[in-house]
Amino acid sequence: MLPTEPIGSIPRPAALIDGVRGFAAGRVSQPELDALYESAVKDTIQRLEATGSPVITDGEQAKHSFATYSIYGLENTAPDGMPISFADGHIRTFPRLTAGPFRYKTPADVYLGIAQRYAHVPLKQAVVSASALSLLYPRGGIRSYSREEYLDALIAEQEGEIRRCLKKGAHVVQMDFTEGRLSIKLDPTRRLLHSFIDLNNLVLERFSAEQRKRIGVHTCPGADRHSTHSADVDYAELLPSLFELQATNFYVQLASEPDRKRVLTMIRDRAKDWQRIFVGVIDPLNPRVETPEEVRDRALEAAEYIRPERLGTTDDCGFAPFSDDTSRTRETAFDKIRARVAGTALASAVLGLE
Amino acid sequence: MQDQRDAHEASLDRLHRRLRTLCQCTMTFFHAESEQELLQSVCEILVAGGEVRLAWIGYCEDDAEKLVRPVAQAGSGLDYLERVETSWGERETGQGPAGIAARTGKACCVDDIRTDPRFSPWRVAALARGYASCIAVPLMTDGKSRGAVDLRGTLNLYSAECNAFDESAIEHYTGLAMSVAYAVTALRGHLAEDLAHGVTAVRASAERKRAEEALHQAREELAHVTRVTTLGELAASIAHEINQPLAAIIADANACLHWLEADRPDLDSVREALAAVVKDGDRAAEVITRIRGLLARASVAHGPCDLARVIGDVLPLVRPELEQHGMTLKMSLAPDLPLVRGDRIQLQQVLLNLLVNAVEASREVPPERRQLIVHSTVEYRDDGRWAVIGVEDFGVGFREPEVARMFEAFYTTKPGGLGMGLSISRSIIEAHRGRLWATANVNHGATFRFALPEMR
Repeated sequence: MLPTEPIGSIPRPAALIDGVRGFAAGRVSQPELDALYESAVKDTIQRLEATGSPVITDGEQAKHSFATYSIYGLENTAPDGMPISFADGHIRTFPRLTAGPFRYKTPADVYLGIAQRYAHVPLKQAVVSASALSLLYPRGGIRSYSREEYLDALIAEQEGEIRRCLKKGAHVVQMDFTEGRLSIKLDPTRRLLHSFIDLNNLVLERFSAEQRKRIGVHTCPGADRHSTHSADVDYAELLPSLFELQATNFYVQLASEPDRKRVLTMIRDRAKDWQRIFVGVIDPLNPRVETPEEVRDRALEAAEYIRPERLGTTDDCGFAPFSDDTSRTRETAFDKIRARVAGTALASAVLGLE
Repeated sequence: MQDQRDAHEASLDRLHRRLRTLCQCTMTFFHAESEQELLQSVCEILVAGGEVRLAWIGYCEDDAEKLVRPVAQAGSGLDYLERVETSWGERETGQGPAGIAARTGKACCVDDIRTDPRFSPWRVAALARGYASCIAVPLMTDGKSRGAVDLRGTLNLYSAECNAFDESAIEHYTGLAMSVAYAVTALRGHLAEDLAHGVTAVRASAERKRAEEALHQAREELAHVTRVTTLGELAASIAHEINQPLAAIIADANACLHWLEADRPDLDSVREALAAVVKDGDRAAEVITRIRGLLARASVAHGPCDLARVIGDVLPLVRPELEQHGMTLKMSLAPDLPLVRGDRIQLQQVLLNLLVNAVEASREVPPERRQLIVHSTVEYRDDGRWAVIGVEDFGVGFREPEVARMFEAFYTTKPGGLGMGLSISRSIIEAHRGRLWATANVNHGATFRFALPEMR
């Protein structure tokens, strides 16, 4: 059977979104909010398991966003960091570090620990990449806390986070690297991309080859609401460098690509023999739920370029990487995941992998 | 006259429009949040200005093919850029305006695409899209100015008219390209450059750490090899040390068997002999345990370490060697030797090495000089108490010029010696924040001492 895994996030229940707003306004207490988080995690895991997905996540129900969960609430950050523009004109602003030392407030293994109370199938855990958090450090620098000191601390924090997730038994730890494609928009010379790759490799190199078999990297053009931040950047700019990352598993957005065969050709030519490619067969931005047959065909199309023993399927992106994103419903997300699981089973049968 | 006036006015109007367009381009420098946005805006503004039909910006790839890669484009016939290849190398596709501008750093103008031979590789595609003339101006920074990053590219403009780019146009667009390059540099500065510097520094630090760890591991392995070699030199003596109790055990066991065969066994004698068996067995086991400790390839483990115990561990291993060579051993140990922080096995190795060297140095001297003194003292220094261990012999000694070299790796006076013992011993002691040194005795022989600070 071809392996199939989700990326991470599922839209939050309306009650949780209201609860978070209420907490910010002082109407909801911390214990009440914690109960809402716990309830959302439990419900999400039950419903993900009901889709038949052999590997699940906690739907990132308690994360503020895929990129800022670990630093949310830190006193030494300000909300006025780097703006990230999306194609529909909306902007998400990254926080800015205001002082050292840098430490995570809530690393991903905390979320994993909560999810493990409810899960009956293997859990994967998404973590934000070091390269994304490198954007936290301000342009003008910080007095008495150099960029090198910050990067050192960041690498150590992420190493610890991944190591604890692996130790707790995460099926796989997935490093979210959506800024890879964005970096080419910010710097077409690709120097920024190369620095991102180098920085992430500094983290990955701290793990043994055996441990790296349980580490993956996710790339996509950054879906949020009904838009993306870098879908207009040609994959040809990213993929050759992407596979320089010292990870084993790659979760590559593909379903929404206009020319999938071209991307698959690039993957075939550029990925290393030991790297497994999970191709996106579900487009979370498209409100229409894919049929299992569509998924099957996309997986089989990928199998023409990538040997089945190195192939897996996934979603193009999380369904709500930012906690306040209500542009998709939970029901649609679960239906799409169910289609991915069923379609992957169909493709496996055709490939004789049952 | 009227024609001249009309031409003059048309020229003025064109100039006026161009300056307005350039002004709009300049405004985008202040608003663009990313390099891509900046480059794209410039292309779009230039096309909207009406003077050009196609505007694109290409970056020079520093690869084997030396391609000029389009990174922003606007205007009519954008598929032109997908169909043609432009290089800044020496081959044919590098002989067009973009290639020349990128190589020379100067603007290159093609007044008539139909006839200019430099444009022949792209002529058909260009004419099909209504381009009649073009200009490429360099988009460059040299990377030398403060905060700048290397940038090599071209701004390429195509007009529907022949001879569209006169002297003033060349000057204006060259100035614009310089400004764009400056703006790009400023935009990139905080991201790519700062991060690259930071990552490079962190990687250098990680690699330095990795190299130090590799060196440390190599030292440990070398120390292990040296320990094994030293023990190999002592093999005969150690075998003797184990054989003695084994022989006693066999003798006592045989005696027991004999006594037990009697009608009324002398159980008191049996009990006494068996107690001796246990004692000899323990003695042999102790020797083996010490050897196993020295042979183990265990990683260094620093902890509280009693140097008196280290001496007690090592002496039984060399005692048979001393006896074999007719050497006498004297001890002069301080009763209040402070505890030090260290790795017991490594410190045993150092002492063992000093003792074996002392035996070697005493082999050939007259019997009355075959003496070995192991002493320990406490020194009081500004930074606290130090434990000092000395090994003194009256052997062949050394000459003063040899002192500097004897701690060097691969320096040996022993036939077949590795020449690593003292070098490794000194690095071990220094890794313990201590000191190892040698002095020639006044009459005969030498004294080697190592000093270690009290554990805090």
